[in-house]
Amino acid sequence: MLPEERVGIVGWGVYIPRWRLSLKEIVEVWGFNPEQPEELGVSEKSVAGVDEDAVTMGIEAARNALLRAGVNPKEIGAVWFGTESKPYAVKPSATIVAEAIGATPRAMATDWEFACRAASEAIRASIGVVASGLVKYTLVVGSDTAQANPGDVLEFTASSAATALVIGSREESAAYFEASATYITDTPDFWRRDHSKYPLHGEAFTGEPAYFKHIVGAVKALFEKTGLRPEDFDYAVFHQPNGTFPLRVARMLGFPKEKVPPGLVTPYIGNSYNSSALIGLARVLELAKPGQRILVAPFGSGAGSDAFSIVVTERVEEKKYRAPTVEDYLKRRHLINYSLYAKYRGLVHRIE
Amino acid sequence: MRISIPPFWRARIHRYKLVATKCKKCGVALYPPASMCRHCGSREVEQVELINEKARLLTWTVIYSVMEGFEARRPLIIGILETVENKARILAPLTDVLPSELKPGMLMEPVIRRIREEGETGLVYYGIAFRPVLSSESPRPRE
Repeated sequence: MLPEERVGIVGWGVYIPRWRLSLKEIVEVWGFNPEQPEELGVSEKSVAGVDEDAVTMGIEAARNALLRAGVNPKEIGAVWFGTESKPYAVKPSATIVAEAIGATPRAMATDWEFACRAASEAIRASIGVVASGLVKYTLVVGSDTAQANPGDVLEFTASSAATALVIGSREESAAYFEASATYITDTPDFWRRDHSKYPLHGEAFTGEPAYFKHIVGAVKALFEKTGLRPEDFDYAVFHQPNGTFPLRVARMLGFPKEKVPPGLVTPYIGNSYNSSALIGLARVLELAKPGQRILVAPFGSGAGSDAFSIVVTERVEEKKYRAPTVEDYLKRRHLINYSLYAKYRGLVHRIE
Repeated sequence: MRISIPPFWRARIHRYKLVATKCKKCGVALYPPASMCRHCGSREVEQVELINEKARLLTWTVIYSVMEGFEARRPLIIGILETVENKARILAPLTDVLPSELKPGMLMEPVIRRIREEGETGLVYYGIAFRPVLSSESPRPRE
């Protein structure tokens, strides 16, 4: 028995801000080709409000995950926060989340950094610490108010959202892990130096040698480890920097096209970085049936990918509606213009 | 304007979990928590967490002349709400809502937001704000 098989998702929760920016606004302000949003397969992106950040969004997602899990927060042995937009360079976001949900003072708490894949590695680590019995539950949060240089193509998709998972024993889980695998290399596809406000990227270099190579590498490693094949999965959820890459990587791996859209949230809210693939997983959990198998493959620049095989249990039904769903948050939507978005995300600089 | 760190730090749990005190004698709930009931004078009070409780909006004001450091939040909306179960009256900022969308009696719920920050280098203070309840067609607990 693999350690993964003893561990599962006891609860999940998401958060998406109310504010949305139509990508047409970015086309208009920066003079892009009007067809660019369609080529990216994204129509709008979610924008965190002026009083929101990765911590506030992470707290709401964590609360929703706890409602579904129905566990005592004091039993959470680790609060692991994956982000690349933490409010403080030095001072953990994880302790603020832990305090807000009532998991202090005996939980481990740390912020993880690996571009969009930090929370994903925290999931693999959670499997280890839960399977070993070191802790009963972990809380993994992937939350980002993604930054992009104004006028950069990245600005079309860099968005805000959070997803949280309570990870614990298989017996209590809505879905259990069957196996997992990781694939990492030193690849300079996307980076942000210290003191730089926005990340830079290697343009076309972010595709083949980064996103595609690493996700394919991780998923093939999972297939080799388990003997599973694309036809064994009911859903395939990938990191979703735009609306087209997940469909392309699915094709490369031999997954039929129809297994991807249920877990594809980016077309409606953009790429929420550490929450990108995980919010797709949450959406799939909210429509999946017991016994179905889900492939989840997050990706982070720098670069790396993890592949998880997850099997849904009968407990998914009772947990689904204990907290707001992805669809509830997708429906809560109010369009703002570029000026308000610029103010909300600090693109307009005031001297204090 | 720099503010003192300790009072914010001491109040963090009350803010994060919306902790009020409830009088064991007359049942009145007070927020922020108090060691004595302001209604009947009893010192027999217990702490209650209201973070999962919804509240009705009683009244609100839209502030256009804001304090230094709040310019990005203008107009600032401050409301007085009454929680549905414990009937605690709470003064708090309202968020995720436009002034034109507010209606007396509307149902709102507490969320944790950035309440203020000390410029670009100082601390960020988190606290309670209220937003309109997330409408959901799905069955939800604790309504």
